[in-house]
Amino acid sequence: MTQSGALELRGLTQVHAAGQPPALDDFTLDVPAGSCVAVLGPSGSGKSTVLRLTAGLDEPTRGSVRLDGRDLIGVPPERRGMAMVFQRPLLFPHLSVRDNVAFADRVRGVPRRRARERAEEYLGLVALGGYGDRPARALSGGQEQRVALARALAAEPRVLLLDEPFSALDTALREEMHDLLADLRVRLDPTVLLVTHDHGEADALADTVAVLDGGRLQQAGPVRELYARPASLAVSRLLGGRTEVPGTVRDGVHTSALGALALPGPVPDGPGVLVVRPEAVRVTLPADPAADVTGTVVRVRRRGLRALVAVEVPGPGGVSVEAELEAGEELPAGRAVGLVLAVAARAVVPPLGPPSSPTDAEASPVRPR
Amino acid sequence: MGLTARLGRTALAGWLLLPLVPLVLWAAADRWTAPAVLPQAWGTAGLRDAVDAGAGPAFLRSTVLGLVVAVLATPLGAMAGRALATSRVPLGGAVLAVLLSPLVLPPFAVALGLDVLLLRLRVPAPVGVVLLLTVAALPYTTVLMRAAYAAHDLGFEEEARTLGATARQTVFHVQLPLLAPALAGAAFLAFLVGWSDYVVTLLVGGGQLVTLPLLVAAAATATGNEAQVAVLSLSSVLPPLVLLVAVGLVGRRGRA
Repeated sequence: MTQSGALELRGLTQVHAAGQPPALDDFTLDVPAGSCVAVLGPSGSGKSTVLRLTAGLDEPTRGSVRLDGRDLIGVPPERRGMAMVFQRPLLFPHLSVRDNVAFADRVRGVPRRRARERAEEYLGLVALGGYGDRPARALSGGQEQRVALARALAAEPRVLLLDEPFSALDTALREEMHDLLADLRVRLDPTVLLVTHDHGEADALADTVAVLDGGRLQQAGPVRELYARPASLAVSRLLGGRTEVPGTVRDGVHTSALGALALPGPVPDGPGVLVVRPEAVRVTLPADPAADVTGTVVRVRRRGLRALVAVEVPGPGGVSVEAELEAGEELPAGRAVGLVLAVAARAVVPPLGPPSSPTDAEASPVRPR
Repeated sequence: MGLTARLGRTALAGWLLLPLVPLVLWAAADRWTAPAVLPQAWGTAGLRDAVDAGAGPAFLRSTVLGLVVAVLATPLGAMAGRALATSRVPLGGAVLAVLLSPLVLPPFAVALGLDVLLLRLRVPAPVGVVLLLTVAALPYTTVLMRAAYAAHDLGFEEEARTLGATARQTVFHVQLPLLAPALAGAAFLAFLVGWSDYVVTLLVGGGQLVTLPLLVAAAATATGNEAQVAVLSLSSVLPPLVLLVAVGLVGRRGRA
């Protein structure tokens, strides 16, 4: 197995047409050897552009791509030592499954028999050992993606580039592919740069996540850190956060329609939006003295055994907080409940647009909970 | 297959093959006078007369002409088709109109006019014929390949490049195999243009390049020998039919 490479993206910028906003703006990211970094962003955020520039399929307007310290400017895609798996499997229809996987070897000049032997090894790695003779067209969607993965790995790339490779698969298949990728990471230790719009997938697969929105890097770091301390509202939303409470911060206390809530770390004074993940909000009785706020259940969204409830808290602007229920717990809409917002999970992000107006609660200071 | 579809297919086959029946009968007839339904005497006189008139060399010349036109017009049409389908060609509509213009210009007028120019430039007759017929075949190959490239997913080529294939290797290992059915179809059309042409070969060839259509026309305008004409006509029809079957097989293998 070829040594996995360390990738450095520095100030990558891609402008398609003069006068239009850049598809990618000053993007900088480090992908250490052997690690898996996910670029997370909505459609149109420029994440596919990151991969295309890294692979050499497009030339950046500015910036550089470095592999193990060597600048790849002007190096054509076939000599970069990277392999890419796209959203569509793109298996060559005129070749059998084995010849597809052996493609990288054949174009390198490896003799046919040796290339096919190696292809069999890689097919075994993705648990498709007996499928070598089948025509590439005779496979199901999940099998096709596995062959595409085997084909990319058979090229023994220094960096593996994955462009939303599992988003076209159904949930069960996607989980299987996640397990497969985790297994392959253990066995082959490749460097992986993955692009996705699903924060759950980024969480499951990657060591660090870079959040991209509108072509600009919003935040990069380990996933846990992004969940706990999102740097902006965009990051919080992209990671699935739905509770946003506008208010003001003073002396480490966030004041809003929910009341005064202490914050776990130092936050600069001024307007700020409180975000809390639903997993960190516990539902209890309204009379519970531990409850930070009380409100009424307005919506219940079933999601496996743990449902998500939206609780509306009375106050100006109709603020709603989402909470995750215990396994099997049931709450009808209209029930009055109390919410406990774990202190460590409270985060404040800068608001979008003009600052919010001061709330009534700020006029009469209340002791923070 | 439903009954209507089967009836439709039989009717279509019959409609296409029926005109060949009198030709087949005439080709094997020594004597056939009205009002007899079938020839009175069967024989190979027609075949002998056709061979005597030079059917063999004419057949060879037609084949070579068709092949040369196919070899020249198919790559040119493929390149034009790819450019028009995938990249933003400046004034693409105008370029396409120019490439399609041989379809609308009357061949007789064009050939007559260009013949003078070719003679002045001392271009040898066969070269002139090949040049004009290649241009005449370009509309067919361009339009066919443009449609093929529009349906072709460039992602295959990008994937091949990231796997380590150079641009040249991508063309041979990925692009051409995927487009083989369309290329076969385009080559077949170009071959037909070269094989079946009469006006350009007659005018620019100056009567010296005797291909099969010229021979058929000469024999048909002469009086009396229907059997000879029938043999010559049949030998004009059969090779394209054989090629059509071959192209169909390539197409099916590309799709299966």
